[in-house]
Amino acid sequence: MDTVTESQRTLYPYVTGSSVVAIKYKDGILMAADMGGSYGSTLRYKSVERLKPIGKHSLLGASGEISDFQEIMRYLDELILIDNMWDDGNSLGPKEVHNYLTRVMYNRRNKFNPLWNSLVLGGVKKGQKYLGTVSMIGVNYEDNHVATGLGNHLARPILRDEWNENLTFEEGVKLLEKCMRVLLYRDRSAVNKIQISKITEEGATVYPPFSLKTYWEFSAFKNPTVGAEGSW
Amino acid sequence: MFRNQYDTDVTTWSPAGRLFQVEYAMEAVKQGSAAIGLRSKTHVVLACVNKANSELSSHQKKIFKVDDHIGVAIAGLTADGRVLSRYMRSECINYNYTYESPLPVGRLVVQLADKAQVCTQRSWKRPYGVGLLVAGLDESGAHLYYNCPSGNYFEYQAFAIGSRSQAAKTYLERKFNNFTASSREDLIKDALIATRESLQGEKLRSSVCTIAVVGVGEPFHILDQETVQQLIDTFEIVREEETAPAEPEAAAEQDAATDQASGADQGGAGNQGGADQGGSPMDI
Repeated sequence: MDTVTESQRTLYPYVTGSSVVAIKYKDGILMAADMGGSYGSTLRYKSVERLKPIGKHSLLGASGEISDFQEIMRYLDELILIDNMWDDGNSLGPKEVHNYLTRVMYNRRNKFNPLWNSLVLGGVKKGQKYLGTVSMIGVNYEDNHVATGLGNHLARPILRDEWNENLTFEEGVKLLEKCMRVLLYRDRSAVNKIQISKITEEGATVYPPFSLKTYWEFSAFKNPTVGAEGSW
Repeated sequence: MFRNQYDTDVTTWSPAGRLFQVEYAMEAVKQGSAAIGLRSKTHVVLACVNKANSELSSHQKKIFKVDDHIGVAIAGLTADGRVLSRYMRSECINYNYTYESPLPVGRLVVQLADKAQVCTQRSWKRPYGVGLLVAGLDESGAHLYYNCPSGNYFEYQAFAIGSRSQAAKTYLERKFNNFTASSREDLIKDALIATRESLQGEKLRSSVCTIAVVGVGEPFHILDQETVQQLIDTFEIVREEETAPAEPEAAAEQDAATDQASGADQGGAGNQGGADQGGSPMDI
């Protein structure tokens, strides 16, 4: 007859999403993520939507523990609901939502019970584009392009070279696809089912999923150990 | 109003459906010295009559900065007003901490009104005895609200509360149609004239009034005495006829823009000519 001895806190994640990559472009923000939910090393769930619109002005992308992401969505749904219920011509913009999430994540971290996510929050309000990120320990910043997880190491170098302020929608999508392709090749928790979403002054759109073309016939891969010394 | 058997506590209705304690609280507002507010599309000006009790004392502070974009002028029990200002400042700073964004005035006003309503429905509380003119800016523009001890709030283009506010209101009613398009200087001029109306014959000097401004690109701040006196002189408001055109003393106002509330109202002692007009000890 064991009563609960230790309080429940997050110790490690179970079902996780991989990187999110996002950029500012001419009309707003473009964000991309794959639809995979990994269960440890098993690529278990293949239709997880990790990009969600928040209110009229924002888009949220999440990597990390999916159940914690769903919890965050419940917090945000309530936040937006109350914001709408004021019915007064004021609305929470992406900056406000980002800051709210930062407070939530940091407070949970301080209680040693983190929400195990890295979040990307982008949006447009009154012509002002906003793109920021918050991690599970509450580190937050804004930039012209952000990514979570391995995206920071694989995608952002590409973006640093090739991003510019005046990308059109097509150029932006191409750039994101390039980043997602590298992640698909190199991140073992990536799956080949990508979703792209955009947010502009007019509103948010989450596009239907698609898959990237990959090429595995590089000659260097055919006999990878030829010429290597000391390999087995 | 006369005493009656239904006015002892706030939780007793009268047969006519009135809560007398709440109405008495609104009387307290009418006894306080005048506070006036007006707004244009981009600015809001608050003005109040500031009389010290005696030549030896300093004035009561009646205008409070709540945040960079919100300020409030009170009439009635200043102690209650101080407490509510502290609440408003607290709400603004908490909102800013969570959202890194200024609290929309309309929402603050509703929170204030709900707070006041609680005191009209508890047997162990009394209504706040102070009326607040809340001036602020948010993304939907410039706003002026009046919060009542009853828990009601109203939005106004221009309003005046406190003793002899009717004179000011009469002036404002004549002029308010032009306020939306007014320049900052004209708005201040109208505020000073409205204040002069409330003084009813007494000379308008910067030692008896306080002016505060908030606007697009201009954080809420109280104008210092010198600036106010210069404005009074420039607009030649002291005389009855409004002869002087509004000369925007742009330079003088730039100084005022960097000035904060600290010494603005306290220094006026020793300038009092006309003395007390109200009897009650809670008079401001």
